[in-house]
Amino acid sequence: MANDKRHRILAIARHEYRAAVRSRILEVLLVILIVATAASVIIASAEYASRLADYQAYKAAAEANGIAQIAPSPLAPLSLLRGAFEYIEIIGGVIAITLGYLTVSRERVNRTLPLIMSRPVTSGELASGSLLGALAVITTLVAATTAVAVVSVGLVGHDWINLGQVGKLLLAFIAAIIYMAVFYGVGAYTAASSRNTTNGLMVALGLWLVVVLILPQIGDTLDADNQLPGGLFSALGLGHDGEVQILTHFATYETIRGSIEAASFAKHFERFAFAMTDVKERFRTLSLPDLFLQVRFSIAWILIYAAALPFAVRHAFREQPTIPQGETS
Amino acid sequence: MISTVASQQLLSLRRQRVFLAALGLFVAMTAAAGVLGWSSHNTIVRVYDQAVKLLASQGKPAPANPFLLKPELSLLSNMIVYIPLLGALLALLLGHLSVADDESTGLGRLIFSRRISRTGYAVGKIAAAATSLALILLAALAVSLVSLVVVNQTVPTLPVVTRLGLFYGLSWLYLMVFALVGMGMALVNRRRSLGLLGAMGVWLVITFAIPQFTSGLRPTASLNPIVDPVGTSQRFFQITAVARPISIAEQYKAVSGQILATAPPEPLTQTLLRVVPIAAVAAAFAAAVIVLVRRHDFSRSSNGE
Repeated sequence: MANDKRHRILAIARHEYRAAVRSRILEVLLVILIVATAASVIIASAEYASRLADYQAYKAAAEANGIAQIAPSPLAPLSLLRGAFEYIEIIGGVIAITLGYLTVSRERVNRTLPLIMSRPVTSGELASGSLLGALAVITTLVAATTAVAVVSVGLVGHDWINLGQVGKLLLAFIAAIIYMAVFYGVGAYTAASSRNTTNGLMVALGLWLVVVLILPQIGDTLDADNQLPGGLFSALGLGHDGEVQILTHFATYETIRGSIEAASFAKHFERFAFAMTDVKERFRTLSLPDLFLQVRFSIAWILIYAAALPFAVRHAFREQPTIPQGETS
Repeated sequence: MISTVASQQLLSLRRQRVFLAALGLFVAMTAAAGVLGWSSHNTIVRVYDQAVKLLASQGKPAPANPFLLKPELSLLSNMIVYIPLLGALLALLLGHLSVADDESTGLGRLIFSRRISRTGYAVGKIAAAATSLALILLAALAVSLVSLVVVNQTVPTLPVVTRLGLFYGLSWLYLMVFALVGMGMALVNRRRSLGLLGAMGVWLVITFAIPQFTSGLRPTASLNPIVDPVGTSQRFFQITAVARPISIAEQYKAVSGQILATAPPEPLTQTLLRVVPIAAVAAAFAAAVIVLVRRHDFSRSSNGE
C-alpha cells in the first residue's frame, strides 16, 4: 500500500520534471539564470583577479625580502558569488512562482487534470508528486547556476574555492533550493486557488514584490536618519549624542520597523546566503558554529517556511476544482 | 477593424478579471509607496519636534525646517522601482495574454478565416494593451494625488500635477515596451509557457543584466530608485559604459528622478535625450509585433502548454 503510494508520487514527480524538460522550460530557465549569473560573477571576478595578482606580488616580494610575517589575503573568492545569490533572491523567486503557476495551468489548459484525478490518485499525492518534481527542477537550476558561478570564479578570478568553502557553499545552495521551493508553493497555491490561473499568477507576483522588495526596503526607508539625503540628524545639526537622545522617544517605532523587516523571507535567505559565502567581512573569520549562531533567526525562519510548504501545496491542490471552471486559456 | 479588435480584447481582459487584478495590484503598489511616504513625513515631523525641544533645552536656536530639504514628490520615489519590477511584469502578462489567448482558444484561426487585415489586427491588439495600461496608470495617478494631499495636507499645485502626469506618461511608454515584448514572445514561441518565460527573460535582461554590464549595478542595486553607476576606472566599464544610453531601465530611472526632482538636476536636453531610446525601443518592438502577426501561422493554434 505504502509502496503503491510512493510509486504514484514518484510517477507524478517524473511527469512534472519531464514536462519541464520536454516543453523546454528547463532549458529556457537554465539559460536565463546561467547567463545572468555568469555575467555578474565574471564582472566581479575580473576585478578580483587584478587584486589577487597585487596580493601575490606583495607576498612574493615579502618572501624574497625574508619577511616572516605576511598579512593574510583579505580576498574571499566565495564573496564573488554574491551576484549569483542576489539573482536567486530576486529572479529565482519569479522563476519559482512561474513554475508553480505552470504546474497548475498546464494541467488545466491541456485538460489533463480531470484525467489524472479519474485515476486512483489523491490530491495529496498529486501535491507531493508535483512538489517533488518541482524540487528536482529547482535543484537542477540552482546546481547549474552554482557550478557556472564557481567555475567562473576559478577561470576568471584565478582562485578556486577550497573544500571548507565547498561545505559552506553547499549550505547556501540548500537554502537557495528551499527559498525557490517556497515561492514555487506560493505560485502553485495562488494559481490553484484562482478560477483563472493568470489572476493567481498576478497575486503571487504581488506577494513577491512585497516579500522581496517592500518589506526589506521598509527597514531602510523608515530608518529615521534615512529620511533625507545626507541624513536627517545631520540636517538638523545634531551629533551622535543628540541622535541617541532623540531615538529614545522612538523605541516602539524602531521595534515595529525591525519586526517588519524580519518578516521578509527574502531578507532571511539573503542574510544566511551572504554569511555562508563570506560576503560580509565580519563573518569571514567565524567558524561554522559561530556563523550558525549569528544567523540563527534566519535559519529558524527558513525552516518554518520550509515546514509550511508541503501543507500549503497540499491544501491548494485539494481545494482546486477537478473540472476547470472559467479558464479560457 | 482596429477598434473592434481592441474593444474585444479589452472586454476579454475585463471578463477574465485580469484587468481588475492588474488594476488592483497597481493601485495597491501606488498606495504602498504613498504609505511609505506618509510614514517618512511623519517621522520627520516627530524627529523635528524632538530636536526643537532638545536644542531649546540646551539654549540653542531651532534648526531649519527639514521639509525644505525634501522634494515634494519624493514620497513617490519608490514608484521608480516598483514600475520597472512589478509594473513591467504585469504589462508583460497583459501583452502575453492578448496574443496567447487567441492562440489557445482557436480564436486566431477563426478570425483569419475572414478577410481581415493582419496589420489592423496587430494594431488593435497593441491599442488594447496601450489603453488598458493607460487606464491602470490613470488610476495610479489618482492614488498618487490622494497620497500627496494626505501627506502634504495641501492641494498639489499645477506644476506638481504636471510633473506627476509626465512621470506616469513616461511610465506608460516604458510599460508599453514590456507589453510588446509579451506579445512578441507569445508569437515567436508556439508554447504558451515558453512565450511567457521568454518574455520574462527579456525583462530580466533589460532590468538587471544590461545595467550590470553598463554600470556595474548588482541586482539589489537595481532595486534602488537612484542609479549610482560605478566609475569607469576599470577597463571593462570603460568599454561597456558606451552602451549606457541604450540601457532603458537606467534611462527610465534617470528621467523619473528628474521629473520627480529626486535626483540632482541636469539640463533639459539631456533628460529629453534619455527618453529617445525608450521611445525608439517601443517603436521598434511595435513594428516587430506587426511583422510577426503578418507572418504568423494562425492555422496552427490551440498549441496548449
